[in-house]
Amino acid sequence: MKFKDYDIEHFLTDEFFIQWVKNPNENNQHFWEKWISEHPEKRRVVQQAASIIRSIQSDQNTGISDALYVDMFENIIKAEEKKEPVKFKPDESNPWISIFSIRKIAAAVVLGFCIWISYDVMIKGVKIQTEIPQTLIVSRSNPAGKKSIISLSEGTKIHLNGESKIAYPEVFEKGLRTVELEGEAYFEVAKDGRPFIVSVGDNAINVLGTSFNVRQNGAGGLAVALVEGKVKVNDRLGNQVLLNPNEMLVIEETGKFYKSDFDLMEIIGWKDMYLIFNSDSFEEAKSKIENWYGVEIEVKGKISETWVYSGQYKEESLENVLRGISLTSGLKYSIKGRKVIITKP
Amino acid sequence: MVNKPQKTELSSVISLRHSESTKIFEKKSDLEVWNAFDKGDEMAFNYIYRCFTPIMFSFGIQITKDVDLIKDCMQNLFIDLRRKRGSLSDVISIKSYLLKILQRELFRAIKKESSHSIQNTELPENAFLIEVSHETKVIQLESETEINTQLKKALNQLTARQRQALVLLYEEGMSYKEIAEVLEFKEVKSARKLVYRAIESLKQLLKN
Repeated sequence: MKFKDYDIEHFLTDEFFIQWVKNPNENNQHFWEKWISEHPEKRRVVQQAASIIRSIQSDQNTGISDALYVDMFENIIKAEEKKEPVKFKPDESNPWISIFSIRKIAAAVVLGFCIWISYDVMIKGVKIQTEIPQTLIVSRSNPAGKKSIISLSEGTKIHLNGESKIAYPEVFEKGLRTVELEGEAYFEVAKDGRPFIVSVGDNAINVLGTSFNVRQNGAGGLAVALVEGKVKVNDRLGNQVLLNPNEMLVIEETGKFYKSDFDLMEIIGWKDMYLIFNSDSFEEAKSKIENWYGVEIEVKGKISETWVYSGQYKEESLENVLRGISLTSGLKYSIKGRKVIITKP
Repeated sequence: MVNKPQKTELSSVISLRHSESTKIFEKKSDLEVWNAFDKGDEMAFNYIYRCFTPIMFSFGIQITKDVDLIKDCMQNLFIDLRRKRGSLSDVISIKSYLLKILQRELFRAIKKESSHSIQNTELPENAFLIEVSHETKVIQLESETEINTQLKKALNQLTARQRQALVLLYEEGMSYKEIAEVLEFKEVKSARKLVYRAIESLKQLLKN
């Protein structure tokens, strides 16, 4: 795009333009002044963009104080001397040395104090230890074929699917609830004023009190389906998406993302033990069964690429599901322990 | 530089040294300054300290309000760099390099303090809040304050990371390449995308 076709947002993201506004030098000044006189109709938008760039500044205007500046410099230089005592000529008149030895004394005092405190804590100290609880991280995981329900101390309920893992602090800290998920889980988050954050890979799902399903797809993919409430999803590139009930956010492995609607039963039926096939291809159906029952499926013969299957099973055995599928699609099956063989006659 | 000469001897010694160092290194490239520092040139260190500690501090204060924590992190970072002199790798932009390692150091320290393994490299939600200054003489409208207020409100609805990128781009005048380094993106493209999306959201927010 040429500069003459630029709108305000293009100027606001153009490095060369920003450099001219922030650090005008001979080259960029020469160019932009000439350009504006060539395109007088752009003068206004250029001025607007420049004014926005100039007016944006950080909220914090506390600069570094002189005291901090000087003190830090001294500490940095002194740290060097501690390492290299050889360069140090003992000289009574050098004020730095006396400061140094005062520091040594101070260090000894501090060390003594620490020993006293830790002695105090170890001998009498059970009480103190209980007052400052160490946050323990609890980690739960399910192998394929197993599902579980986890209730957190503040009332949140988590349905954890097979081949999934969740980690959370035994006691949440003040002001924040954070859990870490791998795989798939359905959350019924209890409202208690604190935000609840599910971190999945590089993404964070931020909620107050809602019900939603999270599923990791492959390496970087993710699907978040919202049943009720409001959910905010942030990815590592700083994108933020808000979800409304009945909306699903799909993030592909490439980082591309889009919103769609979803079939409630298909997405969250698993937590109520519904195994759902919704116009699934053979590959999809195969991986659902493998995951659901924790089995491995071997295929003999070639299954048509147009094969699709729809069906719903509640708390059915593997045998019944396989029978159901084979009835409608003319496949044969046999079960040998953890292994299923499907044959296309 | 805001540091006025102070009464104590030490600070006048420092500022004298520092003004000398500025004269020597002003015209040199970052790489030359960095190599001189690597070779043990104290003037180069003084110059780096003088030029970049104010920026580092104001960067840090936007991540955490804990001044002592920022001080400790900056101090350790410089002590560490000084110890590694002689084997430092090349640095093209000293500013973005120092901000990058300061941010790492801060995250590590904050994580340690909260003794909590889950929150790691995320900026706090209130990091890098933006103020819209009123010195803009260009828009000479009555509604100028109104526009600024709306702009400020919209800016602060962006994610902390987007605001961070905008502050680095507009306040520090950094290039996308430098921003990518600070934010630890492998590709410059990602920094551009982050800014494009921020401006796009801003546009949407201002429309409503």
